[in-house]
Parts: sequence; C-alpha cells; structure tokens
Amino acid sequence: MWTIARGELIQIFRNRLVLVTALVLPAALSAFFVFRHDLFTAVGSLGYIASLALFFVAGIGLYTTSVTTLASRRQNLFLKRLRSTAAGDAGILGGLLVPITVLSVAQIGVILGVLAAVAGPPANPLLLVAAVVATVAMMLALGLATAGLTNSPEHAQVTTLPVSLGVIAVGGWVGITGTGDLTLLKRLLPGGSATELVLDAWNGGRPAADSLVLFGPTLAWVVVAVALAARLFRWEPRR
Amino acid sequence: MSTTPVIDVDRLNLTYDGFAAVKDLSFRVDRGELYALLGTNGAGKTSTLETIEGHRAPGSGAVRVFGKDPRDRAAVRPRMGIMLQESGFAPDLTVRETVRLVGRLTERTDDVGRVLGVVGLTRKAATKVGRLSGGEKRRLDFATAVYGSPELVVLDEPTTGLDIQSRDALWDAVDRLREGGATIVLTTHYLEEAQQRADRIGLMHQGAFHREGTVAELTRTLPATIRFGLPPRAPAPPLHAARQADGQFLVETFGLQKDLHTLLGWAQDHAVDLQDLRAGPTRLDDVFRAIDNS
Repeated sequence: MWTIARGELIQIFRNRLVLVTALVLPAALSAFFVFRHDLFTAVGSLGYIASLALFFVAGIGLYTTSVTTLASRRQNLFLKRLRSTAAGDAGILGGLLVPITVLSVAQIGVILGVLAAVAGPPANPLLLVAAVVATVAMMLALGLATAGLTNSPEHAQVTTLPVSLGVIAVGGWVGITGTGDLTLLKRLLPGGSATELVLDAWNGGRPAADSLVLFGPTLAWVVVAVALAARLFRWEPRR
Repeated sequence: MSTTPVIDVDRLNLTYDGFAAVKDLSFRVDRGELYALLGTNGAGKTSTLETIEGHRAPGSGAVRVFGKDPRDRAAVRPRMGIMLQESGFAPDLTVRETVRLVGRLTERTDDVGRVLGVVGLTRKAATKVGRLSGGEKRRLDFATAVYGSPELVVLDEPTTGLDIQSRDALWDAVDRLREGGATIVLTTHYLEEAQQRADRIGLMHQGAFHREGTVAELTRTLPATIRFGLPPRAPAPPLHAARQADGQFLVETFGLQKDLHTLLGWAQDHAVDLQDLRAGPTRLDDVFRAIDNS
C-alpha cells in the first residue's frame, strides 16, 4: 500500500489541476471565511465557519479528488496494472486514497488551528476531532461509491457535483439556521449531522453525551456508501 | 522436476451477456515451454489469458497457475509477470519510477537500471510516461513484466506497435528468460513469431480450440504449395496444377520434395522457363486461413 501511496503522492504534486482542486481551492475558500470570521460569525457562528471549512476540504479536496483519481486510474488501466501485481484490492485502494486523505486531514487541522488562533479555540476539541474523522470517513465512502458511477475524470466533473455542492449547502443551511426546525431532515441529509457535531464541538452549550447520537446518521452514510461502492465499483472501464 | 503444469486450464467456460466467449477449453502449459495462444479476432484468447492472469473468474471449469487459483494474487503474482494488451500506466510518473513502483508490487527483486537496459529505455528513465511513444510504452510494459525474472511470463500481443529493433530486443530478452527456465505464454497477431518460437500452439476459433500442437503437427494437416508461371504456348504442366486467376499455376501437395523434383524435371525436359517459381512448406498463415474459411 505504501509503495502505491508514494507514487500517488508524487502524482498529486506533479499534476497542477489536481493540486489546485485538491489543495489550493479549498484552502483559499476556507482562508476567506477565516479571514472574515467576524462577518461570518455574525451570520452563523464560529462553528459555522469551522463546518464550512471542513466541507470545503472534505467535499472539494478529498471527495472530488478521490473520485477523479479512481476514475482516471481505471480509465487508463492503471488499476488493472496494479491488479496484475501481488497487491491486494484493499491495499490498492488504500494506496490510492491515503495521500489525498492525509493531505486533507492535515489541511483541515491547519485551517481549524488558524481559526482557533485568530477567533478562539473550540469548546470541545475531542468532539471536534471525532466529527472530522467521521466526516472524512463519510466523504471517502461516498467517493468510492461515486467512482463506481464515473467513467472518466471528465465525467467526474459532473458526477461529483451533487455530493460536493450538496454537503457544502447542507453545512451552510444547518450552520446558519441550526436544527431547531426540520430537525430530522437536516440530520439525515449527508453532512447535516456532521455540521451539527462541529457546531456543538466548537460553540459548546450542549453536553457531549447528547451530541454522540449525531454520529449515527454520519456513520449510516458511511455504511450506505460502502454498500453502494461494493455494488458499483469497477476495476476496469466498461467495454 | 515437478510434473505439475505451470498452467492447467480445465473445461473453461466464459460467458458475457449470454455470449459464450470461451467454450469448454482445456490445455496445460509445462515448465519451460513457450506456448502461443493464437486465433482470429474475437476467438476468446484474451478472455482466456485474462482468466489465467486472474483478472477474470471462470464461468465454469477451473484454471490453476502453479497449482493455485490465479486470483490468489499474493500466492501467484510474485512468480508471474504480466504484459497487458494495453498499457496502463500513471502518466505523471517517470519511466524509472514506474518500473520501481510496479516492480516492488510484484514482490520480486531486481535492478531498475538493468531492466531498463534490457528494453532499451535507459535514456528515457527520467521521462514521464505520458510523454512516451506507443512503442516505448509497450517496452515499458514488457519491462514491468520481466522485472525480477519471473518463472512465468504472460505476454498479450507483446510486439504490436514495436519497430523491428525493439522486437528483436524483446525476443532476445524472452530467449534469456527461457534459458533461465521461464515459461512463456503469449498471444500475437504476428504468426511468424509464433511459428519461429512456440513449442506448442493453441489455435482458437469461436471460443474453442480448433487445433492444438507443435507447429509441425499443425501444418502437416494442410498441403504445401508450389506456385509458378509458364510462358505462352508452353505445354500443359505435370501434376495437378490448377490455374489461378492471376495466371499462375498452383500445386498443393503433401510430397513437396518429390513433386518439386517432378516439376523441375519436366521443365528441363521441355526447355520451359518456370517463371516466378515459389515452393514452400505450409505456414501457420495457411492454417489460419483454412480455419477462417471453414
């Protein structure tokens, strides 16, 4: 897995388009929100800014890049090449996805660290870390499932839009309006309960034990996405 | 020496969307052999090869490589090199990085520089794969297949797109692998390569073996040919020479030497100049055409 991961990391840094999509774009969007945190705190809260930054990175950087990477490697038969070696399927997928996952997690850490430094730390850092981990797992699983429906990197520009824009929109909606109304709907939408977790972790005001139930919908999305990926994912292009 | 075949295909069937791509195919390849799987387009040879490579599950029947299921990659792949029909590489990695990456994943050990030297890509070591020509990618593909000198090498149309020097270099490398005891399985559209090098050939047609055997066994079922032209007003030639549309005469014979002797004697006796005389044993091409026509 680490041999593949090393090769993948080299490719991320050699491909300008991937570099911009995976790292520069989410970082720039997040930087804007952090820079104008006074303005956006008035609209929502610091937790709202944190959740948006999380979904910029997880939705655009991690999810979109994962789908594009898998579709691209399948289309040019690199997946078949890797399966012609002794590497197992889990090792291949792990090797392809570990670099962008590590980069995304590091990016989230830096962005939230800067937000904490300039605007004040989160009320419950441990809960925040757990929320980030659950969100990253959800977006990776959704990426695997979406890759099954995606024929090429060009096609990924279309197939990733519903989820990547969707989680950002849901994050914004829940971040601004809270979950006082339409609670069930907001929590069941992908990214809804994860946003509420981040709000709770950053803003505080709710016992951590009460927030734990919010992991349910996020982890359910992981299970659904993995099940979909198991049905949809292909190792070779359609003939 | 072990009597277990390197490859054992037993009543293999493969079906796609109701179409039977491979039908009840059985054959074995022994250690050290060069076995050529040939056939018309759509004959089922790539499907068969991909099942041997472990990329495809048998619909029914069994395929064993080194006595194991070829889909058990951890057990089989360290002993097996695969050259796919189409190159599948990451365009942003260099040639050296690609060989190192794929080589390490085979769990064999080798020197990347040596392997690049074998395929003549030393000067391209720092070039990104995306900038290689089609022929250079085929050579890179071959390099990854022979990395670490595996016991079994599967070559799917290895010389397609290669210039003559690269083809010679590739066959030299295959010869060296065979000297080391490697088993080779290949498909190719260049029949003369199979004719020159294969120990045994499996000729596939419509998903099944039409014939299997050595080149001699395959070609002896069809007659050799003698072709010649005659000047105007020449007497009728001996033998059962059939006149072709181009005016040439064609003799099909299972006794090439005797009939050729007869023809030359007749020409000498009648002072006839045999024009454009050509005689030769049956070639694999002829066997192929016979299958296609059947």
